[in-house]
Amino acid sequence: MQREDIKRQILTILEDSFEFENPGLNDNLRDEHGFDSIDAIELLGEIEKILGFSLTRAEKEKAMTIRTINDILDYIEVIASEHSR
Amino acid sequence: MVNIFSPMFFDFIVTAVLWFYFIGGFFLFFLLFYLLAYTLSRNRELSFQYLNHLFYKSFLRLTKLLVPKHSWQIDQDITKIRSSVIVCNHVSYLDPLIIISLLAHHKTIVKTRFFHMPVFGWLMKNAGYLPSSTDKKFTFLMIKQVERMKEYLLKGGNLIIFPEGTRNNTGNTGEFNKGAFKIARLCQAPIKVLRICNSDKLFTPGKFLFNTRVRNKITVELIGSIEPDYLHAPPTVAELRNLVQKAFATG
Repeated sequence: MQREDIKRQILTILEDSFEFENPGLNDNLRDEHGFDSIDAIELLGEIEKILGFSLTRAEKEKAMTIRTINDILDYIEVIASEHSR
Repeated sequence: MVNIFSPMFFDFIVTAVLWFYFIGGFFLFFLLFYLLAYTLSRNRELSFQYLNHLFYKSFLRLTKLLVPKHSWQIDQDITKIRSSVIVCNHVSYLDPLIIISLLAHHKTIVKTRFFHMPVFGWLMKNAGYLPSSTDKKFTFLMIKQVERMKEYLLKGGNLIIFPEGTRNNTGNTGEFNKGAFKIARLCQAPIKVLRICNSDKLFTPGKFLFNTRVRNKITVELIGSIEPDYLHAPPTVAELRNLVQKAFATG
């Protein structure tokens, strides 16, 4: 899965489901878009759909430290590569 | 020297009796049932919720008995609420107890620091209550509870939230956190709006003693029922929040 593909899907989700307006890849999600832990949990469900498998407890906990869209993309890439090994 | 004829002295006695029941009554009358539920119940969360409901109900019965100058008017339709996110204003520490005493199957969001308390934290964790923030130790608890919330609500449970986040007895509702509305939208659940009044006259924020001496009427009303069409016209979080604020302004 290419980073550009993931980025496109994540931006669509953030704009359609989380009501983000013109999000920047390095915006602080909490401060600039009011993205909180409930949003993060909802986003995890969307990430599982993108990846096509369920995340483990440790992977979910790790997601709670995400601060920017670039962090989300890094997070998905790392997990996808770990699961493909 | 303590003046036993002082009106404050009666407040002190009532407060002492109520605290004694809150702590001693729990250990004397309820702890055994909690332990049985913990070890034997097929659905531990529901059993703990029911026991919490009974415990607070008994505590408030005793409160009503000891403070007859305070009358109570509670909308009995509240006891029939199912499968909903319930939002309520918050004026006193008594408010969660009052609402839980009305609903056998409930979850609620509690400040994370309370989960660290011995016994109390154990009760809340086993009842399936949610911490208000993702404190490291409770991160997965919150994830698990939010993920399961839709199913819990579909099965008839309720989620009680005080969206102001803290007690506010200014007379007006404060700023609402978005969490309640995000969960309602995520779970596609109806929102019931409750207004609680004058519980702060009985147990005032910042004061240790119950005020038994004023004539007061504590009311709990169901002032709004919001049932969005999530399938065909899903509302935004801001729209849900506005609808609830409107219910408080007009209800």
